[in-house]
Amino acid sequence: MRLFRHRRRGEVPSLNTSSTADISFMLLIFFLVTSSMDAGKGLKRQLPPPPQDQEQVADILESDIMTIELDADNRLTLKSTDGKSGEEVSLEQVQKQVREFAAVNPKHRVVALKIDPQAKYDAYFQLQNALVAAYRPLKCPPRVSELIEESGEKEDMSKKKGGQP
Amino acid sequence: MIRRHFRRPDHSVPELNMASLPDLIFTVLFFFMIVTHMRDVEKRVNYQVPAGTEVEKAQHKSAVIHIYIGKPTDASSQAKPATASASDEYCIQLNNELATVDDIARFVEAERKRMSAEDQERMTVSIDADRDVPMSVVNDVKQALRKSYALNVSYAASELRKKQ
Repeated sequence: MRLFRHRRRGEVPSLNTSSTADISFMLLIFFLVTSSMDAGKGLKRQLPPPPQDQEQVADILESDIMTIELDADNRLTLKSTDGKSGEEVSLEQVQKQVREFAAVNPKHRVVALKIDPQAKYDAYFQLQNALVAAYRPLKCPPRVSELIEESGEKEDMSKKKGGQP
Repeated sequence: MIRRHFRRPDHSVPELNMASLPDLIFTVLFFFMIVTHMRDVEKRVNYQVPAGTEVEKAQHKSAVIHIYIGKPTDASSQAKPATASASDEYCIQLNNELATVDDIARFVEAERKRMSAEDQERMTVSIDADRDVPMSVVNDVKQALRKSYALNVSYAASELRKKQ
């Protein structure tokens, strides 16, 4: 008799939802494992456009150029025209000197980098980091010209790097 | 009447209503789905990025392409392209395979085509290079990028707290 019993009229059977939590937990754990949170951080720089056939050579006063050399042993040498030249400096000194140098006329003064091809990328990065830090209070992108010494012969890497006058 | 007021308290623990638990977990799930992105490339080079104080977050993930430079992992060292250069130790990885500097132009072109028009304008190339990579390798990559007019670069780095 029980077999033929009819459900009471008008009542919808309720769905058992106790496993929904487990399912969504599994999805959550899947996304936690497969995804990475680090939103690619980096030091933003602008490269100069490729060299053109007829390059316009910008006239820059020699006193408006500060040369920083990074040699194969990752040492920094500062060559400025104001008497102090050829001294080995630390990153902090570079930052301080560049800030002083650029504060006078950030739109015209240029920092020239000479990078040895054997120098480590980390040293180069730290140098770029120091330059960005030095130019930060000046509210002006660094005007940097880069020169990479390629096995003895010098190749002009760029006229201006990051500098929109 | 009297009996009702002085009834002995019920000692059984009331059951917790779990009905809102799935909703809660779904909220957390959606949060993670939105803030994270999938690891779409398998790393075939080992690298440790430098650390700097002036690093910024990448604004538009869809407009960023990655160039990895590092030492090839053991599993993929056989698949190394046969190029003889001074800095053979370090390899460039584009998408999922090891490549050479000459492949960069093609890679940038392909990525550019894939992007929407507004992403093309703000396209940034993230150079994820190891700390010990010699500058000659990095410079070759930069020259190749200049030639393909991919001028926005970002040197991938971890963030250091600024010294006060």
